[in-house]
Amino acid sequence: MNSYLLNVQDLKTNFYTYEGVVKALDGINFKIEEGKTLGLVGETGCGKSVTVLSILRLILPPGKIEEGKVIFKTDEKRVDLLTQTEVFMRKIRGNEISIIFQEPSSALNPVYSINDQVSESFLLHRKEELCKKVIEEIEADIQKNPFFLKKAVYQIEEKIYRKMLKDPDAILLRLLSKVPILRRYQHRLKKQAKRETIRLLRKLGIPNPEGVVNRYPHELSGGMQQRIVIAMALACNPKLLIADEPTSNLDVTIQAQILDLIREIRKRLDSSILFITHDLGVVAEMCDYVAVMYAGNICEMAPTRRLFKNPLHPYTVALMRSLPELGKKRLESIKGNVPNLINPPSGCRFHPRCSKAMKICSKEKPETVEVEKEHFVACHIYPQDNK
Amino acid sequence: MRLNLSFVNAKWDDLKREMEPRIKELKFSFSRIKKSPLSLVGLFLILFFVIIAVLAPELAPPKYPHNPYRIPRYGYSAIPRPPSPEHPFGLTEGQYDIYYGVIWGTRTAFRIGFIVVGSILVIGIVLGSISGYYGGIVDEIIMRVVDTFMSLPTLVLAMALVTALGRSLDNVMKALIIVGWPSYARLIRGDILTVREEGYVEAARAVGCSDLRVILKHVLPNAIYPLLIMASLDIGAMVLTAAALSFLGLGAPVGYADWGQMVSFARNWIVGPPDNPLAYWYTITIPGLFILFFVLGWNLLGDAFRDILDPKLRRR
Amino acid sequence: MNLRNYIIRRILLVIPVLFGVSIIIFVILSLFSPEQRAAAFITDVKQLRNIKSVIKTYHLDAPLYLQYFYWLKEVLHGNLGWSRTASRPVLEALFYFLPNTVELGLFSIVPIVLIGIWLGSASAVHQNRFIDHLSRTIAIIGWSLPTFWFGLLLLMIFYGYFKGLFPPEALSTSTSLYVHSPNFVRFTHINTIDALLNWKGSVLLDALRHLVLPVITLTVVQCALVMRIMRSSMLEALGKGYVTTARAKGADEKTVIKKHVKRNAMIPVITVSGYLFAGLMNGVVITETIFNRKGLGWWWWRAAVQLDIPAILGAVLFNGILFVLTNLVVDLLYAYFDPRVRLG
Repeated sequence: MNSYLLNVQDLKTNFYTYEGVVKALDGINFKIEEGKTLGLVGETGCGKSVTVLSILRLILPPGKIEEGKVIFKTDEKRVDLLTQTEVFMRKIRGNEISIIFQEPSSALNPVYSINDQVSESFLLHRKEELCKKVIEEIEADIQKNPFFLKKAVYQIEEKIYRKMLKDPDAILLRLLSKVPILRRYQHRLKKQAKRETIRLLRKLGIPNPEGVVNRYPHELSGGMQQRIVIAMALACNPKLLIADEPTSNLDVTIQAQILDLIREIRKRLDSSILFITHDLGVVAEMCDYVAVMYAGNICEMAPTRRLFKNPLHPYTVALMRSLPELGKKRLESIKGNVPNLINPPSGCRFHPRCSKAMKICSKEKPETVEVEKEHFVACHIYPQDNK
Repeated sequence: MRLNLSFVNAKWDDLKREMEPRIKELKFSFSRIKKSPLSLVGLFLILFFVIIAVLAPELAPPKYPHNPYRIPRYGYSAIPRPPSPEHPFGLTEGQYDIYYGVIWGTRTAFRIGFIVVGSILVIGIVLGSISGYYGGIVDEIIMRVVDTFMSLPTLVLAMALVTALGRSLDNVMKALIIVGWPSYARLIRGDILTVREEGYVEAARAVGCSDLRVILKHVLPNAIYPLLIMASLDIGAMVLTAAALSFLGLGAPVGYADWGQMVSFARNWIVGPPDNPLAYWYTITIPGLFILFFVLGWNLLGDAFRDILDPKLRRR
Repeated sequence: MNLRNYIIRRILLVIPVLFGVSIIIFVILSLFSPEQRAAAFITDVKQLRNIKSVIKTYHLDAPLYLQYFYWLKEVLHGNLGWSRTASRPVLEALFYFLPNTVELGLFSIVPIVLIGIWLGSASAVHQNRFIDHLSRTIAIIGWSLPTFWFGLLLLMIFYGYFKGLFPPEALSTSTSLYVHSPNFVRFTHINTIDALLNWKGSVLLDALRHLVLPVITLTVVQCALVMRIMRSSMLEALGKGYVTTARAKGADEKTVIKKHVKRNAMIPVITVSGYLFAGLMNGVVITETIFNRKGLGWWWWRAAVQLDIPAILGAVLFNGILFVLTNLVVDLLYAYFDPRVRLG
């Protein structure tokens, strides 16, 4: 497992609330290999979304990432995202790592058109390419031998865009963008971005993309909104796509369509996917690897098939038993409740609900052990490394 | 006897169990008040004024016991006199004692605030409940009246009403009540409309609760916090408007202990003689500060209520 | 098409409010005796010499419900009665006093909105930090300030202590004489604008000097409302999913706030800006009275003190119409800012 793209090590995130410190992530570890899909499964409130936001350092106060490493491979180098500058992170966000959020209706800004929102990604990360295209376009316009006044305007435009290509944050450009009439130089750039947006939407199989781009979020159905959110995430061909329960708020039929869409994306792009869900069925369909999460810990991680065939951690076993199956008369539930993360159980956080709990479980936190090749478990049942 | 006691104990335990979350919330609220210095300031300001109002006869013994609100005057000269041991805040235009005026003016302010806000609370709750609960044409009419009143600036409408009713403090209060009730009616109506959709109200009606009981038991407890916040802020606002009307010469009769009027006494004495332009500072500053702190106290208290009681804001 | 329907519906909604205002005015009017009411119907003060005939011509002895229609007819024909304090018909007086008030309003609304929005968003973005505490404290003190007292304090300091740096009234005597002379063309009757159109720097400077204190007085008090609403709607918008989306796209914090949060947070501010004008008119009455600035507010104060009934009723009508008009503008702005209403 050396060709990993993302390696999360001992990531701890706390939220400092009035009632106390919520230990939302308690030192989680996982790796995602290039081109593979990892499923992250767990009950609601076990810290899946916090993991996502922590990877991109989008945790806001009162939350805080306490310690750990998020090692990400970019430009053939491996860097720890938690130690990088904000400027560097902004280049990563939406460009190399992007997120599909779970609730499309709130993930889209109600006051901007679809075009405005999808174009934003292009304008943020693909300005150079867009500029080059615009310059080509202007040159073509000049070639057409226009009226001399128009030609002069084109030449000035070309100069501005060449400047932008060299130094996108030039003071001159910033000044120009504040002046009402001169601001129109951005028109060509925005038009180019719109073209890219339409191309992207068409690629995602959205019918009538030329019409859809001018619509506002509230004019679209839930499934369509989710496709737009996916489009925003895919705009810059990210290396890592994080799908945070992309289907949990959708109708069943639309769920299937969205899953098909993600599967196709996976086939076409060589990006890795971190697929977050509480639905084991979806995981079985979509993922190469699965990590099972419980109360801020990863308790088991394995290739999907192996995990389903041979679950090792008692929580995973219980989770499997609670799945509906043909011919099964009764579903089993896991007794007890999801623990309060302000005062989590000592030792292994699952022990109060565990049917195989031993004495040591309430005292020591189990280490993660590689029981078989690529099959990791954190449970005292399996011999611990250090002993 | 023993049986009886255990029954009481059981009841008490029930009550304790039932109240436990509420007590927890209350404790939380108090911890919030303690943490927020501004709300403490507000609380102290209000306490300070309450003490002044209660002790007014001790602090400033009335010269006319049958009419303590009449400010005693010490001469008939127009020119104000600066603070002295007998008159700690000085004498304003017409030789009215400023100290006496602001002390008894506190009582006036509380009277205006409580009577006006108390009345608009009652009128607002009754009309709002009728409007929200019965709907239909009644609702339509009441809401259009509310719209109309809310479209007019408070002060201008109150001015017009006082002009029509005649110049007096009672009429100022009447005018403020007429101007003030619509926002409460709208609030209560909105709450009733939301609550009416809730399952538990349906259930309460299904088991035969009377309309009045539903409103009193289920609707008002939910609306009580926004009402408290609004009422607290409005005591300040209403006293402010009443003071403005008095200042404009539309309120209390001349010589009545009223802060707004005391500021208006000072109007001719803003600028002193050329060699000492701030000579008469005490005539304007002191009554003005009393108004400011009184209103500030209620506003801070209302704001504290909002921060503490609004479930959407409190845990941020 | 949809936008047109929306506008038409908004305009229709105006009618009940105007009807309600007319009822309020008529109820106030009917509290007076027919002799006192007479002034609200006449167009010339000479008519008052024969009050009996006035009562007869305008049916002041008819049953009340009939009187309402007679009165409404007069109002709809633009006859609002005779104002004693202005010595001219009420409608004419409204237009006579309007320019000074419009000037004050224009110069105040800009800082009120800009400062209010700026403070509100700054304090939301830096929630619970120094700037937040500072601006909230300023806002709550501003909100508690008695306008009349604050204005007088300013006068005491800037007129008294600084020897007439910022004087009261709308213009100083000499400038006022010049402005009313034939050398000065009064295009709009708004001093600052006329001074610019006549290209007279001295007049402009004088007018501005007289504006400073009233504008400060109005701004300090009214700013608090805008700030408070902006702050809470910013806080709400900051917690929305699309803000996280924007951050996850890689937008910098400034863009996120400016583009995604502020635009959404503006919507509630726009909704209440109609009421802002009502609050402004309250302030205008007091400010103009203190600074002796002869505008609508000053006139209404004089009318109230001297029991000039037609003028006071004119004030109520004016404010009702002002509210209706500002709310129409607000609704249009609303449709521009929030694409969701365009459908509905």
